[in-house]
Amino acid sequence: MNMRINWVILCALVLLVIENAVVPWIIPSAWSERLLPHLCFIVTLFVATFAGRHPAFLFGLGFGLLQDLLSYGHLIGPYGFGMGLIGYLAGLASERKSTTIGFFIGTVIISGLLLDSIIYFIYKLFLITDLQYTYVFYWQVAPTALLQLLIALLMYVPVRRFLVKPSLASGEENPE
Amino acid sequence: MGQIFRLMRNKRLFILMIGLILFIVLMGITLGRTRLTWPEKFINDAFGTVQGVLYRPVGAVADFFRDIGRLSDVYKENEQLRQTVAQYTQDQIKFNLLEAENKRLQEDLNFTEQQKNSDNYRYLIAQVEGSTSNPYEKTITINLGSRDGIKPEMAVRTVDGLVGLVSKVKNFTSTVTLITNLDPNSSRGTPVSATFLSKPDSFGIIEYDDESGALQMTKIDERDKPVEGDKVITSGLGSLFPKGIIIGTVKSSQVGDFGLTYTAIIEPAAKFNHLREVFVVVVPSEVDEP
Repeated sequence: MNMRINWVILCALVLLVIENAVVPWIIPSAWSERLLPHLCFIVTLFVATFAGRHPAFLFGLGFGLLQDLLSYGHLIGPYGFGMGLIGYLAGLASERKSTTIGFFIGTVIISGLLLDSIIYFIYKLFLITDLQYTYVFYWQVAPTALLQLLIALLMYVPVRRFLVKPSLASGEENPE
Repeated sequence: MGQIFRLMRNKRLFILMIGLILFIVLMGITLGRTRLTWPEKFINDAFGTVQGVLYRPVGAVADFFRDIGRLSDVYKENEQLRQTVAQYTQDQIKFNLLEAENKRLQEDLNFTEQQKNSDNYRYLIAQVEGSTSNPYEKTITINLGSRDGIKPEMAVRTVDGLVGLVSKVKNFTSTVTLITNLDPNSSRGTPVSATFLSKPDSFGIIEYDDESGALQMTKIDERDKPVEGDKVITSGLGSLFPKGIIIGTVKSSQVGDFGLTYTAIIEPAAKFNHLREVFVVVVPSEVDEP
């Protein structure tokens, strides 16, 4: 484990509060149904990239369920399932490849699209939504994924500096 | 190819399947439940309170900047308000006379105390404490809970009009489902019955069409053809739901599904995002129950 995981959890809790309390005010009214960034999910991807698949799985599962609980209207579980699964897959992918920024960008985009698609299909399965997938993809999934990429890039440098232990950031020199 | 097989080794596939089944069970159990267990209440209350600390000041700042942007409209708005106030004063006189007469008639007809009070709604002011980023569950959190007498399915309104219904009640906070979540073709939500202001006997059901993003009033009788610009209010049929809350104005109308009814497209009176303060409407007969 190469991350300061306690600090990461604290940051994710703060970000969850920000996501529900501050982000709705920043997004303009006309876009408020289209841009719904999941900040905890971005942190999960950082964990997947820098700490590996098992921490990412647990992290995604925990914060996904927390998020489900806070927005509970119909179901509990979609985000718990989606974020756990994608955290694991992203961790798996980044353990096989190198953790370059280009790879990270690809991970964020693909995972963002995948997560919102999984959420959509779960709600479709339980007959809570009857929208077409193509419409949802254009209306909400794609803009959200792009915004998440932007936020992830903004967070990239601070996360590497403060939350990743220097043993990884500076290579193999001090393997402590 | 070999990589894919390694990825899907038996153990992982097995765990994934178990996880999938567990989650589907969890979702099935939590679908359509109204009561919450104490850990859910506790987590929601804790986060709701912390969110409120952040949501309200940020909202105040955001509103301030929006108001600066709208400074040029103030003169026009002032003019409009002046006219409205003049109209209102006129109506007030008429209203007082009518109310006095209504009260006298109720006395004459021996209305019970409960019947007399059935229209005296109580409004509880609630601060909004946050909204969620889940696209299929557009909910807001308010800072009133079961301790303040909030119950599920109470109406929530702003100064402008109906916003939503209380869906989940915690001890100190509650979740409000917005009326943009009432979808006609799905199994979710409680139907809200509505009527036209000019035709108090008309009847329709409020629904929201996700695809076109418009609020609709459906199943209107063919004798009550919707008139453009008419106000739509809640009808309060069933008496659990308050009547007379403005929902919006009719934008256009069309013939409904089987050609026997009308469907009216409604321009909502209230905004559904960037909310700061809402009112929970308490119907008196509900309060008197033990």
